Formats: sequence, C-alpha cells, structure tokens
Amino acid sequence: MSDKPEEKKPEPAAVPAPAPAAAPAAAPAAAAPAPKPAPPKYVPPTPVFNRANGRLIEDRFTTWPTQVFANRWSRPGFQWGAGMLVGIFLGLGLTGFAIGELSVWAARVYAILGGEPFKKFFLFGPTVVFPVKLAPLAVDAIWTAIKVLIVLHVVLINGLWSIWWERKISAHIQSRVGPTYAGSPSGWNFHGWAQTAIDGIKLLLKEDITPAAADKWVHALAPGLVVAPCIIAFAPVLFGDGMQAANLDIGTLYIFAFAGISVIGVVMAGWASGNKYSLLGGLRGAAQIVSYELPRGFSIVPVLMFAGSLDLQVISNAQAGYWHGVIPRWFIFYPVVGQLAFVIFLIASVAETNRTPFDIPEAESELVSGFHTEYSGMKWSIFFLAEYAYVLLGSFLLATFFLGGGASPINAVPFTLIPSWMWMLGKAMLMMFVFLWIRWTLPRFRVDQLMDFTWKFLLPWSFVNIAIAGLYLAFWLK
Amino acid sequence: MSNMMTAADASTMPELKTDQLFINLGPQHPSTHGVLRIGLTIEGEVIVKAVPDIGYLHRGTEKLAEVRNYHHCVVLTDRWDYVSAMPNNLVFCLAAEKLAGVKTTPRADALRVIMCEMNRIASHLLFFGTYGIDLGAYTPFLYAFREREMVLDLFEMLCGARLTYNYIRLGGVMVDASPEWLKRTGEFIEYFKPRLDEYDTLLTYNPIFMARTKGVGIVTAEEAKSWALSGPNLRGSGVNYDVRKFAPYSGYENYDFDVPVGTDGSCWDRYFCRVSEMRQSVRIIEQAIAKLPAGPFMASGFAKVPKPVPGEAYAHVEASRGDLGIYLASDGGISPFRMHVHAPSFINLAMLQEKLVGMKVSDVIALLGSIDIVLGEVDR
Amino acid sequence: MINYFSRIANNTKAIVQGHWITLKYMFKPAVTIHYPDEKLVPFEAFRGALLFDSNVCISCNLCVKACPSNCIQLENAKNETGKKIAKVDWYSIDFGKCNFCRLCEEACPTKPKSVWHSLDYEVIFTKRDEMVRCWKKDFPFIGKYFDRKAQDFKDPEGQVSIHEVQPRRS
Repeated sequence: MSDKPEEKKPEPAAVPAPAPAAAPAAAPAAAAPAPKPAPPKYVPPTPVFNRANGRLIEDRFTTWPTQVFANRWSRPGFQWGAGMLVGIFLGLGLTGFAIGELSVWAARVYAILGGEPFKKFFLFGPTVVFPVKLAPLAVDAIWTAIKVLIVLHVVLINGLWSIWWERKISAHIQSRVGPTYAGSPSGWNFHGWAQTAIDGIKLLLKEDITPAAADKWVHALAPGLVVAPCIIAFAPVLFGDGMQAANLDIGTLYIFAFAGISVIGVVMAGWASGNKYSLLGGLRGAAQIVSYELPRGFSIVPVLMFAGSLDLQVISNAQAGYWHGVIPRWFIFYPVVGQLAFVIFLIASVAETNRTPFDIPEAESELVSGFHTEYSGMKWSIFFLAEYAYVLLGSFLLATFFLGGGASPINAVPFTLIPSWMWMLGKAMLMMFVFLWIRWTLPRFRVDQLMDFTWKFLLPWSFVNIAIAGLYLAFWLK
Repeated sequence: MSNMMTAADASTMPELKTDQLFINLGPQHPSTHGVLRIGLTIEGEVIVKAVPDIGYLHRGTEKLAEVRNYHHCVVLTDRWDYVSAMPNNLVFCLAAEKLAGVKTTPRADALRVIMCEMNRIASHLLFFGTYGIDLGAYTPFLYAFREREMVLDLFEMLCGARLTYNYIRLGGVMVDASPEWLKRTGEFIEYFKPRLDEYDTLLTYNPIFMARTKGVGIVTAEEAKSWALSGPNLRGSGVNYDVRKFAPYSGYENYDFDVPVGTDGSCWDRYFCRVSEMRQSVRIIEQAIAKLPAGPFMASGFAKVPKPVPGEAYAHVEASRGDLGIYLASDGGISPFRMHVHAPSFINLAMLQEKLVGMKVSDVIALLGSIDIVLGEVDR
Repeated sequence: MINYFSRIANNTKAIVQGHWITLKYMFKPAVTIHYPDEKLVPFEAFRGALLFDSNVCISCNLCVKACPSNCIQLENAKNETGKKIAKVDWYSIDFGKCNFCRLCEEACPTKPKSVWHSLDYEVIFTKRDEMVRCWKKDFPFIGKYFDRKAQDFKDPEGQVSIHEVQPRRS
C-alpha cells in the first residue's frame, strides 16, 4: 500500500556482464546457461511536493474538527478571527465618534447659511459672512437636502456593511470563514472587507434581464417601490440624542406607515415577473407583511403608554435614569411587559424583513427565490438593499423603544461619558447581530403556521401586554 | 386565498375559486435533490394533482452489466446510489458470491459491516443536512458536512476514494484496515456521539421543525406495506422490518443493535428514524472494531474473470435508503446474463403521486425531502 | 392552561438551546481549508489521476482487460525484425471515460507498477483532446496529449499537481 519511495539500495551498478564480444569465444558452453545480464534495477525517484501552488497540508488530521476545536489558539489566523468582533466594534465606535463630533458643526453650518458671521477657516482667520444672502426658505431647503443625503447614505453604507457582516457571522456560525480574499491584490484583505463593494460593482455591470412574459413597467418599478418607502421611513429615526433628520411628534406612526408601503412593491414584483413562483411569493409576502404589521404595532403600545408620546426623542428620554442607581430604566427592564413587548416586536420585525424563520415569500427551497426570482443585476440588489435597510430600521427601533436609546447601561463614569450616538449605534448593531443569529439558526415556518402564529399567538399576547401596561400605569407608575 | 376556504365556503361562493396553476417543480429546482421533475397543479397553495417525472439520469446500468465481467460490475454499482455506495458494492458482491458459491472470511465480513455502517452515517448526515435546507435551516447542513467530511476522509484513507469506492470486492474487500485507520475511526466515533445530541437540539426537537414535519405526509403502515416501501420510510410508519435483523448478511446477527421504529409515519418519524439509525450505526461500528477478527481479508475462489455456473441468485441488504436487492442470472458466461436492481429510492418515490394531493406547496418539499431519494438510484 | 404555558416554555427553551449551539460554534475556529492557498495532501491510498511509466511496462494488456470502461489502449513495441517485444510503443488513457477504480493498478504485474494512481486531484481539462493522455518512450509520468490541430504531442495545460516528482507504488 505504501507509495513511499522504495528505499532499497540500488543494485551495485548492475554489474555489467563481461562484454559479449570478449567471453563467448572462450567458453560458449559455459556461457549459454549463464543468466542474461540483469536489466538495470529501476530506482524510483524520491517524490517531491510541488509547493509552488500553495501551502500543502500534509497531515490531514490537523484539519479534523477534533483537532481544530481542541487547540483553537494554534489554528493559523484564529487569533485574528477571535479579535474580529472587538476590532469591528472598535472601528465602528471610532467612525461613529467621528460622525457624531462632526454633527456638532451642523448647527453652526445652519447658522452660517442664515447669515451669521464666522471665521474664514472655522477656527481661525478673518471673520466673514456667507457671501450669498439666502432667503430663510432656501436655508431650510439646503439644510433639508444635507440631512436627506446623510440619511440616504446611512441606508446605502448600511447595505455595504451589514451584508458583509451577515456573511462573516453566518460563516463563523457554520464553522466556515466567509469572505477572506476580497480587498487588495497586495494582500491587505482584512477578512474580505471589500467583498460587498466588489459584489456591488459586479451587480452593476450585470445584464439587466426583463423576462419576455413580464409586465415591463411594473417589473421595473417594483424595486424602487420597495426601497423608497424604506429610505423615507428613516427620516424620524433617532441616531443619538437630538440626531434626527426630522423631529416629528408622530415619528413612530410615520415609520410604521411608510414601512408598510413596501409590501406593494413586493406584490408588484411577484405579479409583474410573469413567473408562477414569483406570483406565489408575492402573494405570500403580502399576506405575511400585512399580518405582522398588527402585532408589531400593538407590541409597542405599552412603550408609547409609558412614554406618553409617539416622538422617538421623547420615548428615548423617558428611559433615562436608573432604578436604585443601578438598573437602567429601559422599557425592556419593566417586569413582564417589557420583555414580552420586546420579544413580540423582535419577532414581528424579523417577519417584516422576510428573514429566515419567516422567509416564506422568498423560500429558496420552495419558490426558488420567491418574488425576486426574475430580477437580476441592480434591480435585484435594490431588493437586497431594502431588506438590509429594514433590518437596520428594526435594529434602531428596538434600541430606541426598549434599550434606552442613547443611555448608558452602566451608571458609572467612563460609560456615562460615552456620547449617546455611540451607545445607540452599539445597541443597534447588537440587535442586528440578533437578527443574523436568528436567521442562521432556525428553520422556516409554513404559510398557515405563520398566520396562526401571528393571529393566534402574537396578537393576543400583545393585547394582554397592553392590559398589563395599563395596570402598571394605574397602580405603579402613577 | 383558497387554502383559507373550507369546502362549505367554496360551494356557497363558487366565484371566489381561483384558477388552477400548473407549476413545474424541477428538474432544475433547488430542492428536488437531483433531476426529479414534478408537475404540480395547484389551487392557491394546495396541490390538486402531482405527476412525478423521472428518467433524467438514466444511464442504463443494468444493460451495461450484461457486457462486463463480474469484477467490472462492482464499479458500476458505485454509481446507483452515489451517496452511499458501499451497500451497493456489497449487494452485488453478495449476489455474485451466492452465484459462485464463495464464502467470505470473517475479517472481510466485519470490514464490510464497518464500511456499510460508516456509509450509512455519511448518507444520513447528508439527508439531515439537506432536509434542514429544505425546511430553511442552513446551519445544520454545514455541521453535518463537517462530520461527513471525516467519514469521507476515513474512506479515502482506506480505499482511496471519497464517493465511488469500489471497496467491497468479490470475495472480500479491497484492502485491509490498518491499526491506524481503526484508531482514527474510533476517534471519529467518540467525536460524533455528542454531535448527534447537538443535531437533536438544533433540528430534531426544534419547535418550528416539528411543526413543519409532525403530522405532515402521514403514511400509514398499511399504505407503506402496500407501496412496498422500505428502509426508514417503512420503519417510520411503525413497521419493524430491517433486512439486517430479518435476513442477516455479513454477520449482522453478531452485533447488538436496535431498529428504530416511528409511530405514525409522518415526515418527522421518517426523519427521526434516520437520526436514530445513526446512533445504532455508531453502536455497530464500535462492536465491530472491538471484535474485529484476524485473518485474510479476501477469500480465494474468484478467478480473474469469473464464470459462474448457470443459475440465479438474489441478494438484498439494508442500504441507507432501504431494502436494496439485486437479482443476477448467469448463463455460464463471463458477464451476467441479466442483472436487475430492486432500488429502494425508486419504489419509495412511487408514493409521491398520491400523497402530494391535498398538501401545501411547502409540504411538498417536506415530504420529498423526508423520502430521501437519490436520483442516481431512481433512474439507474 | 398549564399545558399551554408549559408548551410555550418548552418551545422557548428548545429555541434558546439551538441558539446557544450556533453561538458556541461561532467562537470556535473554522474547519475549512483555503483551497487554492492551502491544499490537502491526499492519503497514500488516494486514487488520483493515473500515471504511467513506459520504461517499466511489459505491454501485457492486463490493464486493458481490467478496465471496466475500456479507457486504456496500448500498442506493443516491435524490434528490428518486426516482432512484438515486451515493451510498449504507445499507451493511452482516456480520462473522459476513466472510473478511477484502481483495477488497472491492481492488475499491473510489474514491480514497481507501470500504471498507478497519483495523488493528484487537480486534473483539469480545457480541451477535448487533453482528456486522452498518451505516453511514448521517455515521456514524463503524467504523459502528454495529442493536439489534433497542431498534429503534435503537448504537455497537458492546466495540470496542477500536488507533486513535482510523483511517488511510486510498488
């Protein structure tokens, strides 16, 4: 069995029999039975591994989970992998810090646009006035445009970030590594950081196919109708204390109202594709999203009752402070009612985003890809963008409604000094991780079970929750 | 939607009945496990008619065997059920040995049992993973393949191939198991046992999974018998029939193991039979390694080109997917006069047409996945 | 009522346990191999692409008979008088048909084997011609293919091998 080189000594140079020309004449009789000259013994070459094409793993058993899991720290690159989350959160925090600090200048810019004198280079230089005298309406218009751009970029950059994060998280949950190589050809490819960007370029360059059976205009309009309400819904989202694009006193209602519009896009996509799987997916999506709007809305009624407002800023402020100076007064820590509302809202948010336990509109193993089966290239990626934008929206809402918004969880000095947008971002990212974690653990519901679950379980319990919240308000939080 | 309507509603409001829709499920579909095509006529989400269509992977193995000698036919058998090829090898060798009247050595028998049971684990792991994917859970698939990879590594270490083994030969096995291999197998078994509990937590007793599979696609014991189902599909319906117990071959009677039997024949029972069988396979492998007899691994008696006396032989084994049988007829020539395969996947698949009617589209996938077909064996 | 709540509790517990397992594996290292950068060396018994040594072959035709898919062909060499000798003139294996079943290697009577499986699992074919490997006297073990367009023997392109010098089975 061994294919090792034969380590036999080569026969002593195959002692050449005396040259036939010399001997045969002398003793022909004796030479006839003499053995013919043995053919030279074959000496197999020593095998040499070809190491030019990559690192060779010669001991196969080092790749067995038994050994990999046993001495995890010796695994090449695992130190990096383990430090990944820490690094990511650190980097995110710094980015958030920078953005947050920049926002201090925002009010100043607003004032300058309105005609207030300012130093030419902001910190030094001669004092000047903005050269163009703008009407107050124009100032507001420019100001709004800036805020709109910021919110738009939040959504777009979130697409880049969260898709990459989902791929990494899902890979590590599944004992894989996920994107590793995308980045730079020279080797600075930290965990494939550029994967989503490159995927995006690829999707942009892909052929945009409209099936022959499709309703062309509706088919083209559907992705826009899915993503536009989602971006609009971000207007009153709270990114930190006072950091909203639009400070609406009906912010909560506004978000839910716009998030609900996307379902029309889903139905349009399913209908217009001219594909039976898409049609089924679109119908399922309509039924699902409309159903889960209800428990999602009712589950936060206790929060609204406690806070006494629909304004996200007010809701966030209502959670400031600590019980006994230790436990933060977040709504999730209100006994029973807080946790119940949190769980119902989380489940309904997952269902709203069509993600795995509730991904029946896409249901890869049943409907191929559901309502976006017939979409390709950028149209498809807009659906994708919308999905992740809804995940981000859900994460921020969870952080605002239940996790105290920008409040620090620990009532101690180094933590309370951290600015609110960082807490907000950290909580939202934690919630996003929960979204991903749920997706990569659970199997999928069936259509009727999904409906049973929302109408017979989530909705009644959210009503019960409202009743309990009413009792709290009557007797405890008077 | 029409699935919300009761029969009474439908009769009082006939104008609300939706059109029937014809859907082609396959041959290129993510979850038909190969090139199976099912023509589904649906009404809303409910199936009113299902027509399975097979034959996309037909390679004429039975005919090919008629122009090859017996040693060559073993190579053909690898290609039926390519997910678990060891029992295929085994069943052909058993039939040919019956035909030629050759008796195998005890060591060869034990090695055959070990390999078949390892292959059963590998096959059921594939089932476990893909069934998870069918029902939307991706992670169990990767976990199952992580373990399956170890089994395939062991196969590669012993016989050099990872999928089409050609390991079990006429009269014995290809090579003997080295002590190193037996040690590594033991290592794998020790690693694998706790993983089975994790699978149970992750999928078997997951409430969503149970809701999707319990009470879905129920096949009663009578139906199962009348459709001649076999393997976990039959045992899931509560019929205790296992060839290893009732017609032992290769010394299965020497091992102590149970036959897991389901209760009501739902998808979950079929699934659970397979997961439990993995535990039993682990038991068998442990026993077989513990009392592996010494001796030759290949019996003498087979010529380079065997020419059995004219006659017939039938052998059947409990393959990963059920009762795999093979019928060999010899006319005294160097190749079989006729080879016929009793393929469990093909027979198990036959229940689709009747069982699918009245189910929902999601349940089609649940039922199809729980039958655990391999199209290579269905079409041969 | 108690049943209802215990069912909720049990289901919640099962789901939380499932999440715990996935979380546990998230903090364990990956078991995957970065394939083009890292390559597994197969076990010694591995049945990879076939190699052939024209210097050792005695042209006995046993491998041709052992092959279930008739993918091997060979031609005896002839001496000056036109008589066949126990040397191979040319030898070819059609990898398009090959089963990788090891029967030819087992049938080979020479020592060391004149046809044997390498550990090479990276056999790549970009042209139909490349699938038929040919060997003549003093060709390398991995053989050459006959390019019908150029009417010439060429080294197989895209052959990425684990070994520079292949091991030999005895």
